Amino acid sequence: MASDTKYVTLVSGDGYEFKILRSAACLSKTIKNSLDPTYGFRENEENRVVLKDINGVILEKICEYLYYNEKYADSKDVPDPDLPPELCLELLIAADYLDGELASFG
Amino acid sequence: MAAERPRKRKRDQDEAIAKIKKGKEAKKKSAKKKKKHGSDDSDSDFDIMDLYKKAKKLPGQLENCELCEKRFTVTAYSKAGPNGGLLCTPCGKAMTKEAKATEKASKPVQRKGRRKLESNRLDGFTSRGARTLQQLCIEKLAKHAEDIDEFGEMPEAIMNRLSEIFSKKRAMNPTTFKLFLQPDREEVSIQESAYLETEDFDQIFAIVPGIKKLALRNCCQFKDVNVDYMIEKAKKLSDIQLLGANLVSDDKWTELFIARGPDLKSFKVEWLDAAFTDEVVQALVTFCPNLERLKLERCKHLGVEAIDAIARLENLQHLTLRFCKEVPRERLVNLIGNVGPNLETLCLENFVESDCEPTDVILEAIHTSCTNLSKFRFTENNVCTDEGYVNLFTDWSNPPLRYIDVNSTRDVDNANPDGPEEYTIGVGSAGFDAIMKHSGSNLQCINISSCRHIDHETFANIFDGEKQYPSLQEINLSFCPVVDTQVIAGIFRSCPKIQKVITFGCFEVKEVVVPRGVVLIGAPKAQDAIEQFGDVVMDFQKELQAEMAKAGGRIVPVRG
Repeated sequence: MASDTKYVTLVSGDGYEFKILRSAACLSKTIKNSLDPTYGFRENEENRVVLKDINGVILEKICEYLYYNEKYADSKDVPDPDLPPELCLELLIAADYLDGELASFG
Repeated sequence: MAAERPRKRKRDQDEAIAKIKKGKEAKKKSAKKKKKHGSDDSDSDFDIMDLYKKAKKLPGQLENCELCEKRFTVTAYSKAGPNGGLLCTPCGKAMTKEAKATEKASKPVQRKGRRKLESNRLDGFTSRGARTLQQLCIEKLAKHAEDIDEFGEMPEAIMNRLSEIFSKKRAMNPTTFKLFLQPDREEVSIQESAYLETEDFDQIFAIVPGIKKLALRNCCQFKDVNVDYMIEKAKKLSDIQLLGANLVSDDKWTELFIARGPDLKSFKVEWLDAAFTDEVVQALVTFCPNLERLKLERCKHLGVEAIDAIARLENLQHLTLRFCKEVPRERLVNLIGNVGPNLETLCLENFVESDCEPTDVILEAIHTSCTNLSKFRFTENNVCTDEGYVNLFTDWSNPPLRYIDVNSTRDVDNANPDGPEEYTIGVGSAGFDAIMKHSGSNLQCINISSCRHIDHETFANIFDGEKQYPSLQEINLSFCPVVDTQVIAGIFRSCPKIQKVITFGCFEVKEVVVPRGVVLIGAPKAQDAIEQFGDVVMDFQKELQAEMAKAGGRIVPVRG
């Protein structure tokens, strides 16, 4: 059982790797499920999730957002993060795919 | 050198004070002269650094500009530079311009941010925690609407959300609107079409011929020619919603119904006052017998005959009516008797009668005919009595409702604000009790604003903290004058899922502790803020949290 490491690795389609806190990564339902030991995916053993449809630039922004979401989970009047407009469309799709705290509307 | 400074500074300070004193005398002596100097601030300024500088030049003398070092003649209007020197005219101008620009840039941003914040709060948006990435992206996109070439493939839900936000931000114009037209889509909904022209509407059917669902709000330029084109192109259309389509004539409406015929499943129109008469509704009923959803609101010409026509729609499941003309109650009773048994949604708004004799025949009809309702709205009625509501909700074979709105059911008479003595008009104590007994177990949303005959005891009994309303998420108690802090606290305890409590005009609601994840809107005396977001985790919430933690999730902040 390797499922209790503090950090997990997210790999983008073009091969960039991001090591981020498990708690942050699991804000995405998709990532959470693929790491869930009850399902026994290889992702769980390796603590590594390959997201082949998401490229490095977008995944970097996703990771930033996950940390941002975790940081502000308990505070009020959260400042909006700075998102480059040219990435918004791709982020939108990626967020939909990753689900959880990223998707659904306010 | 650093050690030397304090001493020097002290000396400088003494000098400065002496100078200020002197300056004040001088000021008194020559107030007129002072005015001429204008910008010269040496005598009022405490800045010690000034003393290191050479004496300032007077108007008429020559000086080197502090920034560009050019020599220029000092005038009364010469501006002071950043380091205390004087600036030549071009530099001075550039500087004031800059100062103004920064001032402008900094001020509105602050104000806008705050305004947006408050607006979001009233929308119930930002309760706590970060907003979702999708929400953030969509808002950013709306800001840069003009720069987008294409959306690419998007899930339908995202498309609709984009459309909503674009509309809200007034970014829906003939250019951006085309982004929402994709050949493989089945639904086009534009919440705010006021900027769109007649030709633009044709684009919808040209680009999306497979369209099944069309929703246009504020489509002022939607004309007969568009209807013609729609009839010709959109052969799969089954769901039509148009708000404010006043340029479509009666004949065209009828033609549309003939063309879509039995395929039309849902038809919603609002705010029509130029055309759309009873005959059009009759045509609708004749040619589109499979209609399941019908909404006719604020259509000026509609009256009794339309009601009678609708009574013939046997497949109707959702019915919403708000008429401008008065309709005799027996015709409404007839309508309910005919279509009632299949209805899941029944909304009858603003059916006011000028004849104020109390009568509950409509409620009786609903009681006997409707057994499948999940959403019930019956507002602004002035003849049905409290007893009528009790009878409706007592031993009703209809399963518990999900949504109830009985706001503003009361007698309106300025001379007699308490209403008639012998009976209560509108939902009163007994009626509210009956509603909660019948539907409390399943109720998600209830609106009883302006039901002013519900007494405090009833509220306290219903929301006593013991009885539980497991599904209730939203309650509107505005203008129920007896509602006080105790009632609100009771609601928090009795409704574990409550998210939003609206209390405009409830002056008895004072220092109330709002639990976490709940928003209390409108309490006029609670605090300065018109809205409060709960911060306190109450005991009864702790259990819930523990359970959720066990389930493996973290407590997700409530989003409105």
